[in-house]
Amino acid sequence: MTEPLLEIKDLHVSVEGTEILHGVNLTVNAGEVHAIMGTNGSGKSTLTKVIAGHPDYEVTKGDVLYNGKSILEDEPEDRACAGIFLAFQYPVEVPGVSNMYFLRSALNAQRKSRGEAELSGAEFLDLVKEKAKLVDIDQGLLNRSVNEGFSGGEKKRNEIFQLAVLAPTLAILDETDSGLDIDALKTVASGVNSMRDPERAFLLVTHYQRLLNYIEPDRVHVLLDGRIAKSGGKELALQLEDKGYAWIEEEAATA
Amino acid sequence: MTTRTQNRFAHTYTLLRKALPDEPGWLSELRDEAFENFKALGLPTVKHEEWRWTNLKRIADTDFVPAELAEVSEAQLAKYLIEDADEIRLVFVNGHFADKLSKLPTIPDGLVIEPISRVLGSDEGLQVKLGRFAEPTQPFTALNTALFTDGAYIRAGNSLTIQTPIHVLYVSTDSDAPAVSSPRTLVLAGESSELRVIESFVGHGNSPRLVNSVTEIVAKGNAAVRHVKLLRESDGTSHLGWTELNVERDANVSSHSINLDAGLARNDVHAVLAAEGANCSLNGLVLGRDRQHFDNHIVVDHVRPHGTSSQLYRAVVDDKSRSVFAGKVIVRQGAHGTDAQQQNNNLLLSNDAKVDTKPQLEIYTDDVKCSHGATSGQLNPEAIFFLRCRGLDETHARNLLTYAFANNVIEHIKIDPVRLALEKLLTERFAGLLGGSP
Ligand SMILES: Nc1ncnc2c1ncn2[C@@H]1O[C@H](COP(=O)(O)OP(=O)(O)OP(=O)(O)O)[C@@H](O)[C@H]1O
Ligand SMILES: [Mg+2]
Repeated sequence: MTEPLLEIKDLHVSVEGTEILHGVNLTVNAGEVHAIMGTNGSGKSTLTKVIAGHPDYEVTKGDVLYNGKSILEDEPEDRACAGIFLAFQYPVEVPGVSNMYFLRSALNAQRKSRGEAELSGAEFLDLVKEKAKLVDIDQGLLNRSVNEGFSGGEKKRNEIFQLAVLAPTLAILDETDSGLDIDALKTVASGVNSMRDPERAFLLVTHYQRLLNYIEPDRVHVLLDGRIAKSGGKELALQLEDKGYAWIEEEAATA
Repeated sequence: MTTRTQNRFAHTYTLLRKALPDEPGWLSELRDEAFENFKALGLPTVKHEEWRWTNLKRIADTDFVPAELAEVSEAQLAKYLIEDADEIRLVFVNGHFADKLSKLPTIPDGLVIEPISRVLGSDEGLQVKLGRFAEPTQPFTALNTALFTDGAYIRAGNSLTIQTPIHVLYVSTDSDAPAVSSPRTLVLAGESSELRVIESFVGHGNSPRLVNSVTEIVAKGNAAVRHVKLLRESDGTSHLGWTELNVERDANVSSHSINLDAGLARNDVHAVLAAEGANCSLNGLVLGRDRQHFDNHIVVDHVRPHGTSSQLYRAVVDDKSRSVFAGKVIVRQGAHGTDAQQQNNNLLLSNDAKVDTKPQLEIYTDDVKCSHGATSGQLNPEAIFFLRCRGLDETHARNLLTYAFANNVIEHIKIDPVRLALEKLLTERFAGLLGGSP
């Protein structure tokens, strides 16, 4: 049996002394797409940030294994270089640093850590052109400072563009679909779909079933109050769309 | 103590006057008058409101001899040159003109670029203008007038456009006893003329010294002057610099004060928007490390209507370094339609670094647009996390963000080779960045 790509075991996480995740279990295999849904404040972003290594989130119990090894002691950049990518729910603006410079530095840092040759300016440009087309991002945005003055939709597109260029093994998208119009949503979805690969897995955090019409998930999980309250196939998302979360809360309470 | 200090400079003054016996009478008179002024004013202490954050004890406690010309090789000079901005250059070593290091190609009619010492006897403009702008009521401008040995004299006739940058380098070198040099620059831009002037103050060796400079820039009606003052003094240097800008009708002056290194530096910029529609843009950058101390004091004086001024000063302080910013905007009665903006942003890279900031507005008229803002803080931790999430290590992420913060000032420099050279310097300073600009 092959090892899972990501294995989260009884994960407890606190921020500033308050426990937010109360024992999350989740297994994602290479090649799969998992969706995580849940009410506001249930801990979805917390889970994604812990996987990426945010220093403010303290793991008090449990473990996160990536390719069978615990990554909790690894720096965020080590995790990135190992192939973990997080698209932020609220992408950060970085005034004064152009998208192109930033992305080339990031890609080359990752290649270097893997023992691959750094890309020259020209090679990088070719790659950028190809991927920009894939996610339909305006070339003008690429030369501007990272996310500075971008619209909400442009910021999300930019995250997907970075995803396409960096081509990670585990891609975690935190509400990349929120606030997108249907055309942008389709672009994001087709970007993700074109990257689906037996070696790669996706963890999609979303509030809306609509995204899953375009990206078909293998599993859907419901995160409620810091725990996975229910897991199922893609039909679970449709049920949530219909009935909301209350019935799962009741189920969880009586279980 | 004040008296003792003045006596010290009295000795310096006597020595200096002895060394310059053949000066024209008007200049000797100007010097005597200035030295009397200096004696009356005395050295400022932290009890003076304008000096409360900058302690001049290290100057008050030192005997200074007049700095003497010393040998500097082309090779030593090389690292202070700016690619594509050194076709015209005047080099002074310890306040004395260094002929061999300077480069004065044939220049167009109507343009004068000379060391002041060469034109003292011949140029009437000089006699009329020298020392007429920088406030004689300031102790250090007075001391400079008393003690200066040489400096750059740049004059452009009406409607003359000179796009080639003129680089003035004031180099100071080691000496056995602490020495004072007093560089002096006078720039006169005629009506509708255009000039680009770079002043580099560079320190070689680390012996204690005082560099007390005065720069006067006069932009006549509709003239445009782009000025950059680049500070690369050694840690043993106390640098006191006064920049006086006199901006006439519809003229545009930009002046950038780029503080890369100095033990202690105090830059005063005094901009007088003397006629209608005068514009100035004053920007500054401080990169402090170790125990360096930088103090930028700006006064913009809107005397007449419809002037615009903008100030953008940024400081990055590391280790135990310190940065002071005081920016005052005065809008005189009748200067309606004035638009004055001021921004001061400080980035603290260490817990021991310190910044003080004091914005001031004095407005005596209605119908003006004034804004000011000041921020102090550390690098944005979310931005650091974001960059690390994409694979940059923490040092690289911090350097990149610091570079971007500082470069925001450099970007405004509209003398291309200077901007490029400074971007490169920043890249080197925040090592580990890719080639090319972020
Ligand atoms: N850095 C932080 N400091 C303090 N509290 C935090 C922090 N991050 C998250 N929290 C708290 O943890 C809880 C979970 O937040 P989280 O952002 O993980 O929820 P979410 O499921 O992503 O919500 P949403 O659907 O609104 O994005 C919330 O109560 C939130 O206020
Ligand atoms: Mg969230």
